[in-house]
Amino acid sequence: MSDQIQGEAVEKLKNGENGVQPAAGHLSSIEQKDLTPIQMVLRSTAFWILVILVVLVAIFGYLTPNNVFLKPGTLFTVGLNASQMLILAVGATIQLASKNMDLSVGTNLILTSTLAAKILKMVAGTPEQIMAGSYPNLGMAIVAAVAASIVFGGLFGMINGLIVTKLKMEAFIATLATMMVYWGISLVITQGASEVGIPRALQLGFGHKKLLDLIPLPLVVALIISGIMWLMMRYTKFGLYTCAIGSSKESSERSGINTDLYVVSIFVLVGVLAGIAGFFDLARFATTNPQGHQTDGLLAITAAVMGGTSLKGGRASIPGAMLGALIPTIIQTGLVIMSVGAFYQMIATGVFLVIAVYLDQKRYASLLD
Amino acid sequence: MDTGGTNEQVAIEVKGIKKNYGHLQALRGVDLKVYKGEILALIGDNGAGKSTLAKIICGAIQKTEGDLFFWGQKTEVQSINHAHKIGVFTVYQDLSLAPDLPVSDNLFLGREIMRTGILGRMGVLDRKAMRAESKKALASLGIGLKSISVDTRALSGGERQALAVAKAVTWANTALIMDEPTAALGARQSSIVYDTIRAASARGLAVLVISHDIPKMVSFADRIVVLRHGQIVASLEAKKTTLQEVLNYMLGGKGESKNE
Ligand SMILES: Nc1ncnc2c1ncn2[C@@H]1O[C@H](COP(=O)(O)OP(=O)(O)OP(=O)(O)O)[C@@H](O)[C@H]1O
Ligand SMILES: [Mg+2]
Repeated sequence: MSDQIQGEAVEKLKNGENGVQPAAGHLSSIEQKDLTPIQMVLRSTAFWILVILVVLVAIFGYLTPNNVFLKPGTLFTVGLNASQMLILAVGATIQLASKNMDLSVGTNLILTSTLAAKILKMVAGTPEQIMAGSYPNLGMAIVAAVAASIVFGGLFGMINGLIVTKLKMEAFIATLATMMVYWGISLVITQGASEVGIPRALQLGFGHKKLLDLIPLPLVVALIISGIMWLMMRYTKFGLYTCAIGSSKESSERSGINTDLYVVSIFVLVGVLAGIAGFFDLARFATTNPQGHQTDGLLAITAAVMGGTSLKGGRASIPGAMLGALIPTIIQTGLVIMSVGAFYQMIATGVFLVIAVYLDQKRYASLLD
Repeated sequence: MDTGGTNEQVAIEVKGIKKNYGHLQALRGVDLKVYKGEILALIGDNGAGKSTLAKIICGAIQKTEGDLFFWGQKTEVQSINHAHKIGVFTVYQDLSLAPDLPVSDNLFLGREIMRTGILGRMGVLDRKAMRAESKKALASLGIGLKSISVDTRALSGGERQALAVAKAVTWANTALIMDEPTAALGARQSSIVYDTIRAASARGLAVLVISHDIPKMVSFADRIVVLRHGQIVASLEAKKTTLQEVLNYMLGGKGESKNE
C-alpha cells in the first residue's frame, strides 16, 4: 500500500503534475556550483589523516635502522596487527553516525571468542582427541566457530540495542554496564585463563596466511568488510537512515522511520563485527585473550573520531576511521622497532586525538559559514 | 456544527476526542470534520490544544478517548508511518528535517527511490533520481534553493520551513496538517507557503492549518475553528465572519457557550 502511494506520488512528480502551480517569485534561483573534487578532498578529514599517516611512516622509515619500517613486510605486519581494530573502528563509526556508541565491543569480542572456542572444540572431537592434537571434525568445527562468532556477537549487540531502545537508556551507560557484564561472564567461564587446544590449522589457513606470500589474509578480510560497510553507509537506505537518526531522531520518526528497529539493527551489526574480530583472535593467536581487549570499545571510538566522525551524529567517515585505526599501531610498531618503550604509544595517540578533533571542529565551523 | 455541505467528501472526521496528560485535560471532547479541498484554520490561544489535536490526527501521539475517521472509515492511527500510508502528512511546529542530510535526502526521507533490480533489493538508493525529482518538486513549488546537495543545516530558517512544507505537500494525498507553517518565515516566504497550501487544496487535499496569524486566516481559510481549553467553541465560515468575532470566541468574550 505504501509502495503504491509512494509510486503514485513519485509518478506525479515525474510527470510534473503534482497539481501545485508554481508560485510567483522564487526565493533565489542562483544555482550554486557544487564543490570541485579537489575541494572535496581537501575538506575531508580522511585526507588529512592520510597525510599524517604518510608523514608518520616517513618519519619512522627515516629513524628505524636500515629504514626497516618502510619494508613492505613491516607495513603489512602493521596492517595485520590493526586488522581487528579496523573492523571495530568501522563499527564505532556506524554507531557514532546514529549518535550512539558501544563501549562493550571489546568485552563482547572476548566473550564471543571464548564461546566460539568452546564450540569449536566441542564439535572438533572428544576431549581426548583434542588433547592428542587430532581434530576429526575440523572443517565442521571451523564453520561452527565462525557461525558462533557471528551469532553471539550479534546477540550481545542486540542486548545492548534493546536496553537502549526499550529501557530508554543512554548508550554510554547501557554499554558501560554490558561491557562489565560480558567481561565478567567470560572471566567466570574461563577463570581468567586463555583457551588452549585451538587447532593450528586455523592459524595456517587464516590467521597467519599470506596472499602472494606477502599480504596477510586477515587484513584482506578486514578491508573487504570495511569496504562493504563503506558502500552500505554511502549508498543504501540503511546508511541514510543511520545518519538521519543520528542527525535528528525526532525528524526521522516524523518521516515514518521505525527508529527503534534501526537502532537495534545497528547494535546487532556492530556486535557481529565485534564477533568477527573475536574470531580473528582465535585464528591469529590460536587462543583467546580474556585479559586483553577491555578498552577496545574506547580505542575504536578514538579511531573513528580521529578519522573525522563526530559524537554529534549524522555523519560517518568510514575511510577516515580505517586510517584512524592504523595510527596507534603504526606508532606502536615504530617505537618497538626503535626499541623505545611501546608505552609511549598511548601518550602519542592521546595527543593525536586532541589535535585531530580540534582541527575537525575548526573545519566544521568553517563549513557552516 | 458542520458548515460544509453534506455531500462533500469528509477527508478527516474527529469524534469526541479527548487527550489527558496525567491530570491535565489537553482535549476535552473535540468534534471536527475537514472536507476534501477545504482549508480549515484551527486557531486558539497558547496551550489551547491545537498541536495536541494535530499530533493525534497525524499519529505522533495516541488519543485518550474518541474516534478518528478518514474518508468515512474508522481508523486507529497507530503511528506516523500509518498516517503516511493514509496519505496524511504534517509540517510540525518545530521542524522535521535532519540537519546533517542534504536537501534531497530530506525531501525523500521515509519514501526513498530505490535502484531497480537486484541493487534496489539490496537497499541501494537511486540518489540521482532523488536529486532530479527534488529539483523538480521544489521548482514546481516555487522554492529555489541554491543547491540540492547542500546540507539542510546550511539553509536559512525560512528555506528549511519551505522544504518541510514541500516534503509534506509532495507526499500527501489525503490531508495536509500544518502546525504554524509560517511562524519562522518572512513575508515573501510566507506568501509562497500560502500559495503552496492553496494549490494543495485545489488539488483536493484537505488542509488543516494551525496559525496565530488570525487576520491572515480570516482572509485565507475557508473555515475557522476556534479551540479553547481543549474544546471547540466556534466553527465559522471565513467569508461570513469578522476578525472581531473570531477574537471574541478565542478569548472567551462571548461567554462559555459551546457553538453548535
Ligand atoms: N507531552 C506533554 N506532556 C504534558 N503536557 C503536555 C504535553 N504536550 C502538551 N501538553 C499540554 O497540553 C496543553 C495543550 O498543548 P498544545 O501544545 O496542544 O497547545 P497549542 O494550542 O498547540 O499551543 P501553542 O499555540 O502554544 O502551540 C498545554 O497545556 C500543554 O502544556
Ligand atoms: Mg502548538
